[in-house]
Parts: sequence; C-alpha cells; structure tokens
Amino acid sequence: MKIRTINYLIKEGAVNFFRNKLMTVASLSVVTAALAVFGVFFLLSLNAGYNLNILREQPEINVFCFPEIDDAQVDQVEEIIKNHPKVASYTKISKEEAFDKAINEILEGNKELLEGFDASIMPVTFVVKLKHPSYSVEVSNEFSGIPNVEKVESPQKVMDLISKLVYWIPFVSFLLLVILFVVCVLIISNTIKLTVFARRRDINIMKYIGATDWFIRWPFIFEGVIIGIVSAILAFGLTSYGYHVLESRINHDLENIGIDLIYLLKVGDVWVRIALTYAIIGVTVGILGSVTSIRKYLKV
Amino acid sequence: MVELKNIVKRYENGTVALRDISLRICKGEFVFIVGPSGSGKSTLVKLLLKEVEPTEGEVIVNGFNVTQMRPKDIPKLRRSLGVVFQDFRLLPNKTVYENVAFALQVTEAVPKEIRRQVPMALALVGLSKKANVYPGQLSGGEQQRVALARAMVNSPLLIVADEPTGNLDPDTSWEIMKLLNEINQRGTTVIVATHEKQIVNAMKKRVIALDRGVLIRDQERGIYESEDKNDKLFD
Repeated sequence: MKIRTINYLIKEGAVNFFRNKLMTVASLSVVTAALAVFGVFFLLSLNAGYNLNILREQPEINVFCFPEIDDAQVDQVEEIIKNHPKVASYTKISKEEAFDKAINEILEGNKELLEGFDASIMPVTFVVKLKHPSYSVEVSNEFSGIPNVEKVESPQKVMDLISKLVYWIPFVSFLLLVILFVVCVLIISNTIKLTVFARRRDINIMKYIGATDWFIRWPFIFEGVIIGIVSAILAFGLTSYGYHVLESRINHDLENIGIDLIYLLKVGDVWVRIALTYAIIGVTVGILGSVTSIRKYLKV
Repeated sequence: MVELKNIVKRYENGTVALRDISLRICKGEFVFIVGPSGSGKSTLVKLLLKEVEPTEGEVIVNGFNVTQMRPKDIPKLRRSLGVVFQDFRLLPNKTVYENVAFALQVTEAVPKEIRRQVPMALALVGLSKKANVYPGQLSGGEQQRVALARAMVNSPLLIVADEPTGNLDPDTSWEIMKLLNEINQRGTTVIVATHEKQIVNAMKKRVIALDRGVLIRDQERGIYESEDKNDKLFD
C-alpha cells in the first residue's frame, strides 16, 4: 500500500466520523457512558484498595510490661519486639507518658484521684503495628511468652474483620472490574456493529468497484479509533471532574466529623491510571469492534 | 474479451438459472441481453463480476479466468470493468466528485491523474456543475449518469450494465442508453441487460435473448422479440 493511499484512508476515516453525524453521536454517547461507568467503579476500587492498605496497618497490639521491672529488663523486651520479623513498627510509651495519659484520658483531668501515686505504678507499654492483621493471634501469643511481659492486648475481632476485608475486597473488585470490562466491550462493539450495519450497502458498493478488503476496512478502523479516543477524553472529563467535586466534599466532611480512617484519593493521584485505562479500552475496542463487525459484509 | 463456455448455474435451492450457455463477445461490441424476469440475465451479469460462481463451465473476462480466480484477485477483475446497476449504488456520504474519484482511489491512482480524469468523466455525462452535490440531491437520471461516470472513469475495457434504466422514466432511459452508446463509440465494450423493448428495437445492436436459462437467440442488429414467435414468447 502506498503512502498516499494510507493518507487517503486516514482522511476517509476522519471524514466519515464527521459526516455520519447521527451514528457518530450515538456511538460517542454509548462508548462515553460505558467508559464512565467503568471509570466510576475503577475509582471506587482504587480507593478501596488504598484505604485497605492504610487499614491493614491500623490495628495495634499493646504489650504491657510489669510495672516493677527496671530499665534493663524493659530494654530486653524492646529488643525482642524490635527484631520480630512480623512487626512493622512500634512505639514505646514510658511510665510517665502512661501516667499523664491515664490522668488526662481516663480520669478526665481529675488529678486528685491519683494523689499519693506517681508514675512508677504504671507499666511501660509497647504499641506494636503488624505487617499484616492476620498475624495478630500468633504474635500476641508469642509476645505473651516474653519474660517480664504482664499481658498482651489485641483487638481480635477488628483484626479478623480487617484481615478478611484485605483478602476479599481486592478479589471482589477485580472480579467486578472484569465483568464490567466485558460488558463495556460488548456494548461498544455492538454500537460499532450498528454503525457498520447502517453502512453495509456502502461496503457492498465499494466491493463492486474493486476495492480490496483492507481498503474498505482501514477507514472504519480509523473511525473506530477516533471514536475511542474522543469518548475516552469525554469520559475522562466527566469522571475526573465529578470525582474531584465529590472527593473534596467528602474528604472535607469526613474531616469535619472527625473520621480520619477513610481518605479519598485526590484526582492528581489517580488521573494517569484513569486516562490510560480509558485510552486503552477505547482504542482497542474501537479497532477490534470495527474489524470483527465489518468482516461479515466483506464477503461479496 | 468475454467468453462463456458451457455455463450451467444451479442455485442451492435447486433453481437452474442458466443451462449450458456459451457465447463470445468481442472488443468494441455493444450487446443487449434481453429476456423476461427469471430468464437468467442477472445471473449472467453476476457471473461476469464473480458475484456468483458457475456450477459448471468457464467464464473469461478481460483475460481473467473468472472461474479459477482466487478471492484476493477479485478486486483486480472488478477494476478492469465498469459496472452500472439498476439502483445506481452511489455512496450516499460522498459527493458526486468523490463518488467518481473513489473508483480511481481504489486503484491507488496518483492524485494528479484523479484531478484530471474525474472532471473529464463528469463532463462526458454532463454533470460538471453538480460535482459537489450529494447523490440524495440528484434525480434518478442524474444519479445513473454519476454511476456511468464512475464506471468509465478508469477507462475500463468493458462496461456491464444490469437494467440501467429500470428505475428511470422513458426519456431519461434514452439519455442513459445514448451515453452508453457514446462510451461504446470510444472503443469500450458494453454489455446491457435490459427490459426496454423500444430502445433495443431502435438501437439495432447485437441482441442475446435468454428464456428460462436457455440462450434462445443471438442476433446481430437484432430486436427484442424473435420475428417468428413475436410477443407470445415473453408473455
């Protein structure tokens, strides 16, 4: 095929895009809608994944030492926790900090109730974050066995729930994304089929004039690509704007009511992934849809 | 130029459209193929375009052995001849100019050649002023003239017309036939399948008559009906 023919065929695709107005508008809106629906769910799953990653590091287990042990013994306990392979991080709460905390948080500032006592009655505590919530039972048991440790507390039910979520949410959201992807592909290729069907007579005429199959096919493919790209841009504009508005509002509201457990990703964090996904789906479906739906009408 | 050797065409539903047809059409001839509906005229035209395959026999068009041709070579055959249909078959989303130019685009002609040939073809059919109009805005006769311009723009050796005047009024039909005749005068072989009794009788060209798939008459300077049987034959 000669270069000027390729130019001609690309131009043909572009011209068809503008001349078949009704079909162009129909496919653009369907493809844009399909992509937008896909995008909304994609954003949901990105956010779910992001928040899960935060969540899985949230639960902490508290390791209380006996109040009467000396600093060297505390250091021994700290050494074991520090070197444990399943520990992500830990903080040490000294006797004094624990004492202040007890007065401020538990007794609500009523110092007099603890009169005659000092910080020495409080245990040194280690607040330990684990690498994965499912380790909590095992690690709690291990830490209970450390000499000079009085007791270990772990929020077992929360840990169990979180470890289930960490397992199921990515799995379910991946499954739903796949289903939604297939649905999008079907809807989009069906639309392309309709546009090709509307022009089956044209294809037939071109065959009679002596056009080769590829000569007929290329403009349809380019048209499909243009529809894919334009829809991707439209869908991107729609979802990213909508998401931006929603995100700033929800994050603001969450902050106001004091929930810092859930945080929505900013548009800036996700736009590359969204744009790429749209472009890839739009273009591949545009190409595949054109090629497969045109095949039937080329047999003349 | 065109040669049919012992052609039999049996469709899958059992209809026999052509029974042992042999004929030869030479370069520069003008040939009418006549016959009532169902006589096999359309099947004969379709054989020339390789739209249908003969059940038996051999078809040779412009030096191509149509029956043994591979599918990928079909475009070459179709570029070597111009086709005109009853229903015009113009591309609705292309202007008159673009429709005619399309026949050259498929052959990957150089742009300069396209810019030269298309206006010439349009001038010949008298539609130079309507170059930028879409087919939908033209009358039937004008549309058929565009189709004629498209059929002849790449100077084919042969033009095949399947009922080219079937959708047109008598005056317009005459215009189209005169144009076909003019194209023939310039050296192009023309084959016209038609019902137009008056035109066939007036033009005194070679007439090939078919009836129920059988070639019943092949006559130089012929007329629509055979002299001896007159009207009865095609009732």
